[in-house]
Amino acid sequence: MTKPRILIVDDDPDLRRGLNLRLRANHYETSYATDGFSAVALAYKERPDLIILDLGLPAGDGFVVLERLQQSANLSCIPVIVLTARDPQSNREKTLKAGASAFFQKPVDNGKLLSAIRTTLAPGWPGTNSSA
Amino acid sequence: MSNQPPHVLLIEDNQGDADLVRLRLVEANSDLHVSCADRLSSGLASLTEEPPALVLLDLNLPDSKGAETFRKVLQKAAGVPVVVLSGRDDEQLAVNAVHQGAQDFLVKGAFDSKQLARAMRYAIERQALLTSLDISRKQQLQFKDQFLSHVSHELRTPLSCIHQFVTILLDELAGPVPPEQREHLETVLRSVNQLRTMIGDLLEATRAESGKLQIKPRCVALGNLIEQAAGMMRAAAQAKKIDLQVALDGQSPAVIADPERILQVLLNLLDNAIKFTPAEGSVVVRAHRAETEPNFAYVAVTDTGRGIPPESKALIFERLYQDAQVIENSRKGLGLGLYIAREIVRLHGGQIWAESQPGQGSTFTLTLPLFSLGKLLAPVITEQGRLRDALALVKVALIPKGALEAASAGEAGQRCRELLQACILPAKDLLLPDMRAAGPNQLFLIVASTDAAGAEVLSKRIREQLENCVELKASTSFTVSAEALSLPAPQDGKPVTAMVEEIADRITEVARAGNMRRA
Repeated sequence: MTKPRILIVDDDPDLRRGLNLRLRANHYETSYATDGFSAVALAYKERPDLIILDLGLPAGDGFVVLERLQQSANLSCIPVIVLTARDPQSNREKTLKAGASAFFQKPVDNGKLLSAIRTTLAPGWPGTNSSA
Repeated sequence: MSNQPPHVLLIEDNQGDADLVRLRLVEANSDLHVSCADRLSSGLASLTEEPPALVLLDLNLPDSKGAETFRKVLQKAAGVPVVVLSGRDDEQLAVNAVHQGAQDFLVKGAFDSKQLARAMRYAIERQALLTSLDISRKQQLQFKDQFLSHVSHELRTPLSCIHQFVTILLDELAGPVPPEQREHLETVLRSVNQLRTMIGDLLEATRAESGKLQIKPRCVALGNLIEQAAGMMRAAAQAKKIDLQVALDGQSPAVIADPERILQVLLNLLDNAIKFTPAEGSVVVRAHRAETEPNFAYVAVTDTGRGIPPESKALIFERLYQDAQVIENSRKGLGLGLYIAREIVRLHGGQIWAESQPGQGSTFTLTLPLFSLGKLLAPVITEQGRLRDALALVKVALIPKGALEAASAGEAGQRCRELLQACILPAKDLLLPDMRAAGPNQLFLIVASTDAAGAEVLSKRIREQLENCVELKASTSFTVSAEALSLPAPQDGKPVTAMVEEIADRITEVARAGNMRRA
């Protein structure tokens, strides 16, 4: 059975590792990128089912990544969940307008994040409705 | 002073007085560019045209008298120093102007050129000092803003990491955890969450101070918010053996509020109430209306804690206020919670206050503006003080396919709302705020200033838009229907506001029926 694949984009190695562990424990496949440029490149190459995106990134921040994804006919359908330390008052609307499906501020409640992942993933994934 | 000849604006209607002042000015300093105005209106015009280095102002002019004159000048040119010229008998007026921000005053006919020159020099210097103080205060505030926003951002990354790995251990993703270690990890997690709240509060308080706190008010059922807040605090209350109750007064009112912000305020009040109430005590949240304030809903949080000493009552809403007595088993916060709560309630147009008898507990009460459909409708359904000729109601129901999670149902609703908003004419149509009770279906109502045929056209446009929205179609189906609204018969002397209220009642009826059908 194929598992949904999630691309984690974050420049902090520890956060990446933690999120990776958490997602794998909930039966997702993961891969990761550490900057904006390689995030877009990897999205092209791997066509993940969902992207978890930090905003403050080297080589093209989260907004640049969102813009690039939206511009591509093939990638604009990949849902993006923004997970950032930046403040929601000035960033939530902006990211949603830029095409993100959801916005969470770090530290995020794992239950909320996992539930958002389940509802954001295109329907039809096995396990989309199972509890994690 | 700069090398350019300084420009002095003299606003004085009495020609003799004006000439005398000009003479003194010439005696004092030949290198001055003086322009004169004999009315306030021409003075104000010249102020905007060419801001002078200083204004010499007579308060009693043909077109403005007394304090009003100075106020208008201040409004037009806040940073320009003003020296008031007063008559011998109205010195008090001039003194008042100085209290309001004039730099100095001179009594006409009682000053020589040296005194005038000195008054002017000092006025300009003082004003420059004030301006630079103001600028540096603003810069400091801005720096503090940036600094705190930066710091709180940077603190969140390591905090997020601690949070993630502690929960990974607690959820036993890295192997079984023996009970004692679990207890320790839970302590770490509690502290992490406390730290998270503090970091959030820090940023919020700075925002409140610089007026950057934002709210997004909409129509919300107050009872739902209270239940939600109480639900989130129930575990904390139980852990301390405190009885947490919600007492809603009949049908819970709809208020105009930002639900997230008011939830934040309620959580803060409940957290405090639980913190300051000993075991076996109780905390009650009440919502009610009061005849004295018919446009507001009241929410009161009452605890049986030790109360607030009278001398502290005025201080608890101030920044950094902390209770002097350390409470057992509880840590001090930053002392920002109530300050933020007050600012949020104020932004809503409400008030918050505390009542307390030492030793007998406290009651924190806040008021929120009640939602009034009539007020919302009035600008849309009336034109030049009359009801519009025709009105129609378009109903859109969003029906989820299968069991949708609350979060994604909310998102679908939000998306639908945006689409509908784009379909209507903002000046003539109104998409009503969410008035639904909890339930799977969502009902959207549009009041449109059009007849039945026009409403059909609008319905068609809405259907097309919803049909084309991939995200919505994946998770929901919808129905769109339109009907003409029967207007109240115009009677002589019947005020328009009464008719608007009648229509509002009719629409509320429709909304309520829509809700009941779902239930």
